Order: sequence, then structure tokens, then C-alpha cells
Amino acid sequence: MSPRARHLAALAAAGAAVVAFSGHIGSPNTFFDGDAGPYRIHVVVQVPPVVPGLAEITVRVLAGRADAVTVRPIFWRTGERGSPPADPARPVPGDPRLFTGQLWLMEAGTYNVRIDVRGADGAGAALVPVTAAATRRLAMQAPLGWLLAALGAFLAVGLVWIVGAAVREGGVPAGEAPDPRRRARARVAMLAAAGAVALALTGGRAWWNRVDAAYRRNLYRPLAVRAHVDARAGAPTLTVAIADSAWTSGRMTPLTTEHGKLMHLFLVRLPARDAFAHVHPEPVDSTTFRVRLPPLPAGRYRILADIVHESGFAETLTDIVEVPAPGAATAPHDAAAAPPTATDPDDTWHVGGADSPPGALQTARLEDGSTIAWRHPPLVAGRDAALRFTVTGPDGRPATLEPYIGMLGHAAVLRDDDSVFVHLHPMGSFAMASRETLQRRERGDTGTGRWFRPAPADPGAAPPMAHHAPAARPASAIEFPFAFPRPGDYRIWVQVKRAGHVLTGVFDAHVGADPRGGGRAD
Amino acid sequence: MEATVRPLGAPLAAEASPAAAVPWHVAAVLFASTCVVAGITWDISWHSTIGRDSFWNPAHVTEYVGGLVAGLSCGWVALRATFAGTPADRARLIRFWGFHGPLGGWICIWGTFAMLTSAPFDNWWHNAYGLDVQILSPPHTVLALGILAIQFGALVMALAWQNNATGHDARPAALLSAYAFGIMLLMAAIMGTEHFFRSFMHSSDFYRSAALVFPVFLAAALRSTTLRWPATTVAAVYTLGRLLAVWILPLFPATPRLGPIYQDITHMVPPDFPLLVLVPAIALDLLFRRTPPRRSDWINAVVLGLVFLGIFLAVQWPFADFLMSPSARNRFFATTNFPYFLPKTTRSYHYLFVARDPDRAAFLRGLGLAALFAVLSTRLGLAWGAWMRAVRR
Repeated sequence: MSPRARHLAALAAAGAAVVAFSGHIGSPNTFFDGDAGPYRIHVVVQVPPVVPGLAEITVRVLAGRADAVTVRPIFWRTGERGSPPADPARPVPGDPRLFTGQLWLMEAGTYNVRIDVRGADGAGAALVPVTAAATRRLAMQAPLGWLLAALGAFLAVGLVWIVGAAVREGGVPAGEAPDPRRRARARVAMLAAAGAVALALTGGRAWWNRVDAAYRRNLYRPLAVRAHVDARAGAPTLTVAIADSAWTSGRMTPLTTEHGKLMHLFLVRLPARDAFAHVHPEPVDSTTFRVRLPPLPAGRYRILADIVHESGFAETLTDIVEVPAPGAATAPHDAAAAPPTATDPDDTWHVGGADSPPGALQTARLEDGSTIAWRHPPLVAGRDAALRFTVTGPDGRPATLEPYIGMLGHAAVLRDDDSVFVHLHPMGSFAMASRETLQRRERGDTGTGRWFRPAPADPGAAPPMAHHAPAARPASAIEFPFAFPRPGDYRIWVQVKRAGHVLTGVFDAHVGADPRGGGRAD
Repeated sequence: MEATVRPLGAPLAAEASPAAAVPWHVAAVLFASTCVVAGITWDISWHSTIGRDSFWNPAHVTEYVGGLVAGLSCGWVALRATFAGTPADRARLIRFWGFHGPLGGWICIWGTFAMLTSAPFDNWWHNAYGLDVQILSPPHTVLALGILAIQFGALVMALAWQNNATGHDARPAALLSAYAFGIMLLMAAIMGTEHFFRSFMHSSDFYRSAALVFPVFLAAALRSTTLRWPATTVAAVYTLGRLLAVWILPLFPATPRLGPIYQDITHMVPPDFPLLVLVPAIALDLLFRRTPPRRSDWINAVVLGLVFLGIFLAVQWPFADFLMSPSARNRFFATTNFPYFLPKTTRSYHYLFVARDPDRAAFLRGLGLAALFAVLSTRLGLAWGAWMRAVRR
């Protein structure tokens, strides 16, 4: 099936809604650390793999005396007016600071989950963007399959027998035996019934297969992109074109900026993952983005491009490119030569691997002579544990970190088979733009229609919800709320800014399987 | 009808008795059949109003009660007849794997098993493909088959009682048979809901679907029950049952618990006003009485089927105009109720018909097909009714 047909089918199935999903690969859960008024909270939302489905939400009140927590998913298209009332999150017995609840996510797309906390310290609210999409199809377990097959066989045999009995004996007066004519007709009726049952089962099977095939076709896939590097104009230039008909048809909402950039793109050299860059391509037109590459060593690179739509839907687009050796010319990909592109001052890169092997305490030497350290217990898949890094200056004293692209730090987490990629901030695993665009949607609300019109961005306006502003708090440590989704080996690039310089620390992590069964192994 | 319910230990089939008494197992399965259709009506209203579903919501519990009462009462009948019944009792029943039970009872038991089978199947389906993405899915079809089987089993048991009844039992038995038909008609109308929307009432598809669904039950009732007004009684049960839902459900305040919400809802959303099947049903009764006894059923089917469709079209078409008018926007006709998920941009929200036929020729072709469906549905109903008139066990 062509990409166009695939996306048309997806659109039809979603009632002309755009299928949306989290801006990560292989890690759909959302993590949030921030403030809800006077309360500091840590939120984890485990999204369902199918939509409509139930998401599990846990809210841990880290600071403040909270009595009650409510949760409410607000769908991007209908806003607060078109959303159901809030549900209480129940306190977990034995842990008065932990509250759990469920979110009913009935349509694929982006939700802002409003979390209201009340207690002795007053009332406060926080918004956490969550995206929902069908990502997998549950397999039927063998015992259930056998049970259903047995019940189905019983029903089929029973039906044929009832038809026979109805024809043979149904009209026979009490005490009389059915005559041979009735018996013969019953046999014919049973044969006919058996044929009808076989036909119904065959038809049912075909129907089921059709539903299943349509479902699999509509599973979320990121937009298809084509990327290449052109070195003719001197410095190699990376061009990323969104080639997917779902995008070029114009049915999706436009892109919006995340920390002032339309695209955050990471490059990782394969297979050693020993070169890394975080760059910000600029749009050339509505489908093409271009950026001058930093001086990276030649080789094959995985690119991972984060974008956010105005609907709040964030996704990561991925491809593989060949970066030539400095000075090497590449074959032209299109008639118009790539124009020289100015380098974004926020573009950064790092060449080299991890300084220390996986362990309880790992350190990495940064370019300016300072050190970044990561102390952690054994890592277990599915276990919610913040990744906490501390930075020490060359003088051995705690370093003072500065904001880098609107945040105290960024972390890129990549599994060794590229099946998991997450771009983390201290506030969590979601795109800030998702939250901002949904907040603007409320201000620009034009009714509970099928579409929405966000209010224009107003940088001067105070956000409607109080939120954690990490940049305002000088610190030498940085924490990223996260849980590794699967066991395996991961590489983590942590980026912080000190004394005007962006510094990248590289770490390797070995994540084990949860002995209780959490986390999915390969 | 003056009838009591016979105690559990009473004989299973009817025999001449001085006072009309409904056999307890017939009462039980008719109660079950009623529970199931009431539960489904409630369930649909729940999905249109509240949206949020759970295994134990009261509408579901009503359906489970129906399924369990049908299965357990018929199971008890079979066990009692097999292990404690007299040879005379067993001689009135049908044998299956060493057990003796009434034909309707075996059908009800099959229905209960089908309902039970659908539960784990549907649960897996929700986990695999999402919560109730489709109304008509394979597990829901298994559930619907189970429900239909319970209702059909109840009908067969009521008719077997009628066909064996003499004296005082005859009239209550015939009335309960018509009631069982009416419940099936309610269920059939529910299953055709997506074709019977108000905004489709000026399209041929609406009349095609009505011609397929209604005549089969009315004709079967004409043939199988001993009442003077069988089709009218069956249609009256459907009309009254639907009216009760239309009038009672909105009395209960409720608000949506799922999004996206496109309607401002303050109470339970009822089903649409009943279709005017009652009018052609009266005509069918009058006509059937005058039918020459030896006339071919194919000719009967042509006459009855076309009369049904003609009268139904003549009354429903202008009535649809009335339902779309401001005069019907009141609690009696209840046309101001829309499910929470219906966008306000839809034609039905603005009381406009949806033109489902591309042109006049397509509409006339559709009506021609409706006439054919009405005849075939009536013919099937007459044959089915003839078989049921003869059911004894």
C-alpha cells in the first residue's frame, strides 16, 4: 500500500482526525516534574497501546500537604468546554503522597491532562500534555484462544443439533415418536445448518481479518522523511524533506516552535555512536528543512528530528544519512544547489564515547575541564527513577549551570538498536510546545467545533498555569524524570551550559529486566 | 388477561386446568427476554449520554440478569425433568446428550452460552483494537446472536404453551406469545438503528431496511398466534416498549463522562420515537382475516408485503416531516435529544434530512427493492409462523 493510501485509510478510520503520537520512539509514557500551585508533583502517565483506551496516571506530591487530586484529559480539538469533568485520583493505601487514577482517551491525538491538587496549602493546577495513538496489537494468549475455540465449537455443534431437534421433534405431540419423514427432514436441516454455520464462521473469520488488517495499517508511524547531506558549497549541509503524503496533503496542522525552533535534530554516528550533534534546521519551504552541519567526522549517521504540530502533537522523524569527509564533494540531489545556511548559535556537537563504563557512579570529562557525574542504583526497565547528574567545575566546586535553549539541560537517550529514542528535559519527557499550544487553544477557543484556532503566541503573557521554571533556579545538578521502557544498552548524551559554553557529557547505561515482569525484553 | 404463575414444581407443559396459570419457566424466560432488551436500550442510552463504560454498569447488569435467568431457569427445567420428572413429563420434551428439556429451553441455553462466550472475546477485542470502536464487531455479533437466541427461545416456549393450551390457558398463552414477538421486534429495531435515523426517513434505504426487518415478525405472528389482532398486538408491544424508553429515560439526570463532548447534555438520552409500524400492522390483521384459506403463501406474501410497505410509506414519510418540525421538539416526541458525540455541524442536529439517494431514479429503484424485500420478508415470516404454529415441545 502506498503511503498516500495508508494515510487516507488512517484518516478515514480516525474520522478525518489526524493520527497523533508522542514525540519519541519506543517510549510512549509521559513523565512530568513540576509545580501545581504550592505543590511540587511528579506525574507518570502510562498511555494505552490502543485507542480508545485507558491510561494510568500516578501523581506523587513531593512537597506540600495535599488531600485530594483530580485528573482531567482535555482533548486538543474540543478544549475544556468539550471535555468530561475531572475524576478523582485515589490515594494509594500506605502512601498518602501517591495518588492514582485512569484517563479515558477516546480519540487519537494530543490531550492536556489537567491535574488539580487541593489541601492544607491551598489549590493548584498543572497541565501535562499526553499523546495517544494505536501502537501495537495485542496477541491472543494460547489459553484464551483454546477457550474461545472450545466454546465456539460447542456453540456450532449445539446450533446444528438444535436445528435438527426442532425439525425432528418440535412439532411432535407429547409421547409420540417422530416419523421417518420428520427424521429425514431433520437430517437435511442439520446438513443445511452445518453449511450455514461453516459459512458464518468463514465469513466471520474474513471479517475479523479485515478489521485486523485495517487496524495494523492504521498503527502509528512517524511521517516519512528523506534526508541527504550536500557538501558542494563548502561546509556540508543537511537537507531534511518531509515526503509523507499525510503532510504534503495539507490536512495536518502546521508546525509550531519548541524553545524557539521548528525542528530539533540529533545526529548520531553509526554504529559506534561516537559522534553526536544537536542542530536546528531552518525551513526552506513547507516541507524542507536545511542546516549547515558542524565539523562531524565522516560516516553514516542516524538522524532524529523532533517536531511539534499546532495540535500539540509531537513526533520524531528519522532517517539515515552519509556525512562525507571534510572537503569531499557529493552528487547533487536536486538542481538547485543548497544555499549556504547560517549556523544556529545553539547548534552543538560532540565527538567521543563514554569516559566510564556502566556502573553505580559514572563520570564524564567535559570540554571546559569540568566534570559531570551520574550516580544511580541498578537500572531496571519500567522503574520510575529520575536521572540525576551533578556538574563540578575544574576547581572541584559545584558548577553554576545556565539555561540552554530555554532549559537547564537536555538529555538524548538512544537504545543500541535505535528502537528507543527520547529527548528529555528537567520538566519531563513531553514537548513544551505541546502544552503551550494547548493553553493558547483555550484562549482562542471558538467553540466545540471539529477544528480549533489557537490564539496568537504572546510571549509577554503569563502562562495560565504556574509552572516550574528551572532556568530561574541556579543549580549545579540536573534531574530528568524518566523510566527506561525496555531492558538493554543505552547511550545518553547530557547537554548543559556553563560560562556561556554548551557542554556534552556521554554515558552508557545497562538496563536490566524488572524481576516482577515490568519492561518488555526483546 | 387473568393469569398466575405456576410454582416451580408444576408440570412443564400445559394441560387442561380450571384457571389460567403461566408456567413458571415461560414467565422466567419472558422476564429474561424483557431484561435483555431493556438492558440494551439502557446501554445504548448510557453510551449516548455518559459514554464511560464498565463491566458492572447497571445497564450491563440488567442484560446479565436476563442471560442468567434464561440459562439457569431452562437449565433447571432440564435437570428437574431429567432427574425428577415423570416419564409423561419427559415425553413432552426433547432429549439432548441424555438431558430432557423444551425446545425453547435448549435455544435459551444456547443463547446464554453465546453471551458467556462473547464476554472474554469482547474483553480481548477491547484490549487489542480499542474500547468499542465499532458497534458491530465479531464479539458483539456473538453477543447479539446469544440475545436473539434467548428471545427466540422465549418465543418458542410461549408458542409451545399456546399450541398445547386448551380452555383458560389459550388466551394468556397467545397474548404472551405476541408479547415475545414484540420483544423480538424491539430488538430487531435496535439492531437496525443505524438505518432508522430520523434524518434518513426520506431515503429509500430507510424503507428498504424497514421492509426487511418488520414484515417477517408481523407475518410470523399472523400465522402462529391465535389472537384476533396478532400483528397489531406485536406492533403495540414494540410501540409501547419504545415509548416507555422515550419517556422514562430523560427523567434521569446525567452528564457525559467521556470526551470529546459536542452536545450539552443534562439527562439520559432516549432512543428515537417509535416508527409507525402499528398502522400497517392493523391493516395486515384486517387483510389476513379475509385471506382465502387455500391461497398460495406467495400470493399472500405479495399482497401483505406490498400493503405493509405502501401504508408504512404513506404514514412514516409525512410523520418524518412532522418529527423534523419545531412542533415535535417536546418531551412527548423527544426529538431534542442527541448523543454527546454528535458534532453540531451535522445535518441531523439541524433537523435536516440526509439525501442518501443520489437522484430520483435511484430513490425509485431503492423503493422497488424495498417492495421486493417486503414480499420476501413476509413470505419468510409466513413460513416461520407456520412452523411455529406447530411447535409442541
